[in-house]
Amino acid sequence: MLKKVFQSIKRYQNSDVPFYNRSMIYLLKLKDIGEDRMKKIIALISCMFGLFVFINVYHEPQVNAAEKTYTIGTDVTFPPFVYADSNNNYVGIDMDLIRAIAKEEGFKAEIKPIGFNAAVQSLSSGQIDGVIAGMTITDERRQKFDFSTPYYKSGIVMAVAPKGNIKGLKDLKGKRVAVKTGTAGATYANSIKDRYGFRTVTFDDSDNVYNDVKNGNSAACFDDSAVLNYGVKTGLGLKVVTKPTDIGSYGFAVEKGKNKELMAKFNSGLKKLKANGQYNKIVEKYTGESATAAQKKASAKADSEGHTFIGLIKQNKSAILDGIFETIKLTVVSIICATIFGVLIGLLGVLPSKFARGASTTIIYIFRGLPLLVLALFIYNGVPSLTGSKVPAFVAGIITLTLNEGAYTAAFVKGGIDAVDSGQMEAARSLGLPFGRSMRKVILPQGIKIMIPSFINQFIITLKDTSILSIIGILELTQTGKIIIARNLEGFKIWTIIALIYLIIITVLTLLSKWVERRIND
Amino acid sequence: MKNLKVDVTDLKKNFGDNHVLKGIDFKVAQNEVVVLIGPSGSGKSTLLRCLNRLEDPTSGKVIIDGNDISDSKTNIDHARENIGMVFQHFNLFNNLTVGQNVELAPVELGKMSKEEAVKMAKELLDTVGLDDKYEAMPQSLSGGQKQRVAIARALAMNPDIMLFDEPTSALDPEMVGDVLEVMKDLAKKGMTMVVVTHEMGFAKEVADRVVFMADGKVMEEGSPEEVFDNPQNERTKTFLEKVINV
Repeated sequence: MLKKVFQSIKRYQNSDVPFYNRSMIYLLKLKDIGEDRMKKIIALISCMFGLFVFINVYHEPQVNAAEKTYTIGTDVTFPPFVYADSNNNYVGIDMDLIRAIAKEEGFKAEIKPIGFNAAVQSLSSGQIDGVIAGMTITDERRQKFDFSTPYYKSGIVMAVAPKGNIKGLKDLKGKRVAVKTGTAGATYANSIKDRYGFRTVTFDDSDNVYNDVKNGNSAACFDDSAVLNYGVKTGLGLKVVTKPTDIGSYGFAVEKGKNKELMAKFNSGLKKLKANGQYNKIVEKYTGESATAAQKKASAKADSEGHTFIGLIKQNKSAILDGIFETIKLTVVSIICATIFGVLIGLLGVLPSKFARGASTTIIYIFRGLPLLVLALFIYNGVPSLTGSKVPAFVAGIITLTLNEGAYTAAFVKGGIDAVDSGQMEAARSLGLPFGRSMRKVILPQGIKIMIPSFINQFIITLKDTSILSIIGILELTQTGKIIIARNLEGFKIWTIIALIYLIIITVLTLLSKWVERRIND
Repeated sequence: MKNLKVDVTDLKKNFGDNHVLKGIDFKVAQNEVVVLIGPSGSGKSTLLRCLNRLEDPTSGKVIIDGNDISDSKTNIDHARENIGMVFQHFNLFNNLTVGQNVELAPVELGKMSKEEAVKMAKELLDTVGLDDKYEAMPQSLSGGQKQRVAIARALAMNPDIMLFDEPTSALDPEMVGDVLEVMKDLAKKGMTMVVVTHEMGFAKEVADRVVFMADGKVMEEGSPEEVFDNPQNERTKTFLEKVINV
């Protein structure tokens, strides 16, 4: 049977029918071989898909067994603790500390800059081994995590725009205050908002918080004193108006009751660094007068040379190129997977069997109904906490897009076939042509023409939807933009650049699709 | 009857609660032309569609050429090769040329080589008066031309029986004659035919037997003279009065 399948596949490989068209032809070719064998073939295809995922999962960089590798999640926008420098390297007190400790204790730290929120969630679900992201140790967090010895003391302060008339907490009555999701600053602001009569608005990134205050949408923001003081000193453009309060300590976190070895290494490493003076050096490097002055000078220099669009693109060329590459990689792989999945499910929906049609409708209903964001978080964070096995972000992203975009594809594949007049099938069958061959020779050629515009549309949507995967920390174009903005606070210009890049890629994709469409129609 | 081509016994067909065929007995001998008449909704087309299982019978037996079509174990594709069908709305394959429409089934089903099929298609198109349309797309044809291509397409499989489901109902009046001519020629050549039609003239001239159906039952049957000139059943009388007065 397999021999037959491969022969028929070979025959079509030489033709210049486009990929998705061809995959349909394979399928219906298979259909001719016999309805009962169809199941075996579907199983075979599922296995191949499974293998593909498997290869991807285990394609992660392998390291030598002697040095154990831990995956450490962190924020991307929390200077001076963690941020990306102009070469897009992750630096800051937390980064230098974890690297120094890893070196001291002989393990490898693989840094995942996925954002504070995603880092905390990934830690709960076991996707990563530890989090170091200027996280304040709180009782609430102790319920879920085990914390190291505190490595930094900080308090919450309030910052306002320098020209405003807000001087203290009392002036906040009736105003709006910006905070960052899940931070101690947010907890503190929420605990006092009734007393002082203000409302809070939450953002995922620090730079959005600061910008909201700078452009006057919010009256003030609350954040850790070390962070805000550093920002003010390096030219953030806000001023701090309160004394640090609600003093807390930062700690390194692991999932409660797990990774005891890593925790012990961290604590012992931290102790050694404090004893040999390296700890002080690191803190001084980022918060000392010379450091902040240098940073201020650097940003002033950047002011003079690089705040034009061209300057910004030049400065961030490698980061943006990496982002574009990642976005294209995600788009291409997920378009291929989603098209295969969608065509399979769509064809399942037009088979005579009631069971097949029911399965198709159910799959479309579920994955078209789920918001992409929820699906991404469910697969990346939800599934691993249930099964205990990690899913790499890229694979989780591909699975998410395959299921979601595939469900839409299945719906219009099914719709396209249904849109062909039922008399065509009756006429073909009345001549004695079997179902599969009637489909392939008569129905599909007409159905595909109906589907082509939907395919092009779906490809473009898939490209745009890759941006949602920034939520699980994939360093694609959108996440790259967020990180660059976290460093230079050029929100408007960077988002303009990112938007233009998306438009350019979409234009190329559209032209490519139209070209394919013309070739099919000729 | 000798050499039974169609032998239907107690055929019932329900669409949900709607009982369309309420126990039909229906026989057609070799070389016989049978015309089914009756008011709309009487079940004529459903009976016809049960003869090649485009509709699954609810109960009863349908035996074509000795094959039990109503048995799900019968290879229906194989059985259909010998039963040609012509539809009211032609149903030409819109993605293929006229020639390809005719050649598709014989070539796909391995009945003949591509070259043989081309030769045969041209001959068949010639007999229906459309030899110049071999390369045309169906969309460019008139209704009458489409229906004649559809007949040629059905004949390409060299069937023993031809089923016609209101073949002229969707045509402009001036096109009807051409299609009926083709059907008459076919009848003269001895094709076994079952025709659902409202063309009483055709029935009178060509039919060996006329079957009148109403309410899912066969009310009356006989030679055209018997049914048209001397109907016995009240329903037949009322129906014929209406049709002939129009």
